[in-house]
Amino acid sequence: MAPAPSPVELDEPRSDESVVPDRPWVVIVWNDPINLMSYVTFVLQKLFGYSREKATELMLDVHHKGRAVVSSGSREKSELDVFRLHENGLWATMQQDD
Amino acid sequence: MSRWSVKPPIERIRNGYRINLADEERELVRRLLAELQALLVGSSDNPALKRIFPAAYHLAEHAEQDAEYQRLMREELVASRLSAILTVNEAFDAKPPLSESQILALMQSLNGLRLVIGTMLDVSEEEDLSEVDDDAPDAGEHHLYGFLSWLLEWTVRALDPQADV
Repeated sequence: MAPAPSPVELDEPRSDESVVPDRPWVVIVWNDPINLMSYVTFVLQKLFGYSREKATELMLDVHHKGRAVVSSGSREKSELDVFRLHENGLWATMQQDD
Repeated sequence: MSRWSVKPPIERIRNGYRINLADEERELVRRLLAELQALLVGSSDNPALKRIFPAAYHLAEHAEQDAEYQRLMREELVASRLSAILTVNEAFDAKPPLSESQILALMQSLNGLRLVIGTMLDVSEEEDLSEVDDDAPDAGEHHLYGFLSWLLEWTVRALDPQADV
């Protein structure tokens, strides 16, 4: 449920408040019914240089927990990582770390 | 017995890779890739492309950032996929050994086809070719999806021989 709007807030500057400059970004891969498990493991190794063990662990997290953080860093680096994952058809998004 | 090739369809050989697909299988993949190419350069609102162009920023508070990402990166994604399709068509015409980058382009393209067909079929994780009802109106697409899954699995296996597939 959305909170009731507060008139006070409307008077405050709102530009860019959704992006906090100092907090790192994380790249998340989400579970999807299409991508093959072997394919996801291979792509994670190929794109990030992860070992088979690390890539398999991440793939299994995606499969069983619905999502896994596969990389983190600056906003620019994360966007590039997301792009490379999209190039390879993985369902990847990014957000600022909590 | 499999209705497709008996030899591994994609094979690692001494100096690279070899594609062992039968002529009609190659033609099928070429035809599907031509359809994917037409989709990629067509309307970007096509719901079949939902998984080809996912959101980069999933939080509502980052809608503006996502719009910017889509504006800047969508064309790059299309260019990358079109270039891979071209590479696959060249690889199908080339004599072995094929290079790793040619097989990676095949992998990316096969996965692109599965994303589009899987989205149109609204497949579930339990998608099982053996359970396809041959009388269903979309039985052909389910068989195509199964064929592409089989071929992609072998492509990954060739690129990554230790893969536990």
